[in-house]
Amino acid sequence: MIGNIRDLARKWLEDKEVDAIFALREQNGYLAPYLFTNVDKLGSMEISTQYRLSYTCRPSKENILSLMQRKEPSTRIGIVARGCEERALIELAKRSQIDLGKTKIMGIACTQEEAIECKCERPYPDNLVLGQKVEGVSQDENVDALLNKSITERLAFWRYQFSKCIKCYGCRNACPMCFCKDCKMEQGVFTETGWLPPEIPMFLFIRFSHISERCIWCGECEKACPVDIPLLTLFKLLRRDIKDLFDYEAGMDMTQEAPLLTTLDEMPMKEELASGI
Amino acid sequence: MSWEPKIVGFLCNWCSYRGADLAGTARMKCSPNVRTIRVMCSGRVEPTFILKAFQLGADGVLVLGCHPGDCHYTEGNYKTLRRMSLLKKMLAQLGVEEERVRLDWVSASEGDHFVSIVNDMTEKVRALGPFRQNSEEEKHG
Repeated sequence: MIGNIRDLARKWLEDKEVDAIFALREQNGYLAPYLFTNVDKLGSMEISTQYRLSYTCRPSKENILSLMQRKEPSTRIGIVARGCEERALIELAKRSQIDLGKTKIMGIACTQEEAIECKCERPYPDNLVLGQKVEGVSQDENVDALLNKSITERLAFWRYQFSKCIKCYGCRNACPMCFCKDCKMEQGVFTETGWLPPEIPMFLFIRFSHISERCIWCGECEKACPVDIPLLTLFKLLRRDIKDLFDYEAGMDMTQEAPLLTTLDEMPMKEELASGI
Repeated sequence: MSWEPKIVGFLCNWCSYRGADLAGTARMKCSPNVRTIRVMCSGRVEPTFILKAFQLGADGVLVLGCHPGDCHYTEGNYKTLRRMSLLKKMLAQLGVEEERVRLDWVSASEGDHFVSIVNDMTEKVRALGPFRQNSEEEKHG
């Protein structure tokens, strides 16, 4: 797999399809993002499930790709992306964080084991270049269990989960979709700093209300959480609701505008307008 | 003293606040449970405001804007509509009753409509009970 990726990267660079390839590089046993411009260095290119290239860097709160594109707007960058990374790039592009026109995505498929590990429903990108498409995990027992709960049971469940929160901001930092420089979760008006457990309904709720419609269910927040709050489960539940409400799925189609970004030109949910909600 | 529901109302300056004003000047009888906050447009109301209201002890939040098509800023109320419907879904998933948040449209001439919405909302929230009570129960339980 990695051999094929290196070969294709070499081809792209030699054919001048892209000026640089953004991928992971192994150095002294550690993986870090690296911009390959020299074909001789491609031998150190690696892939990993542990590091997402669509990650946002803290504390500067910059997405690496958007940072590079802002500095060098004319450079064409190739990026090695898994399914979730590709979805993240699409959602970021919709919010003017990156320019997909200058980006060439080298989509790679995840293996079945990787998909199960991530509980991923769609472990392949749309424009699949390398690898074999495998079916994602369609059933999530946590999601099904919560759907069958009554509203008071849900409240009890989530209250217990949120009472574990230590306000480490890990979920926010890991999220590829959190890119605001001034985060509401850090502002004293909305979140009282120095208090545990987090106020309900604030703190995590702020993130949910900001992210829900653009969440690409990569599961990075849940993986980052040191106290195992099932954040991915919640976002999977919200994803169903958003599909019902707006007929929208995040990260799927670049041409489909996000429901909270649209203007009068296109109006989903027309029938509800008359009666109010 | 018996418990009375506290409802925070975000009213748009151009239609709903005027509608509430009309209800007042016309001396219509209206339940006094809604605390009014005037915003320039219902589109200014972001989900965080509503969460903050709940955090500070509100039992329900009412958001009122101009009728669709009447927005002073053309499309502010459409944006709120999408935002609020998504927020309600989110709150429902997290165990907060959807009825605690309500978005509706009141124009400047609809004082009676304003009164009926306020009365209706108050009764619904009264039936649900206090929002905070839930949290205290959980803490000790």
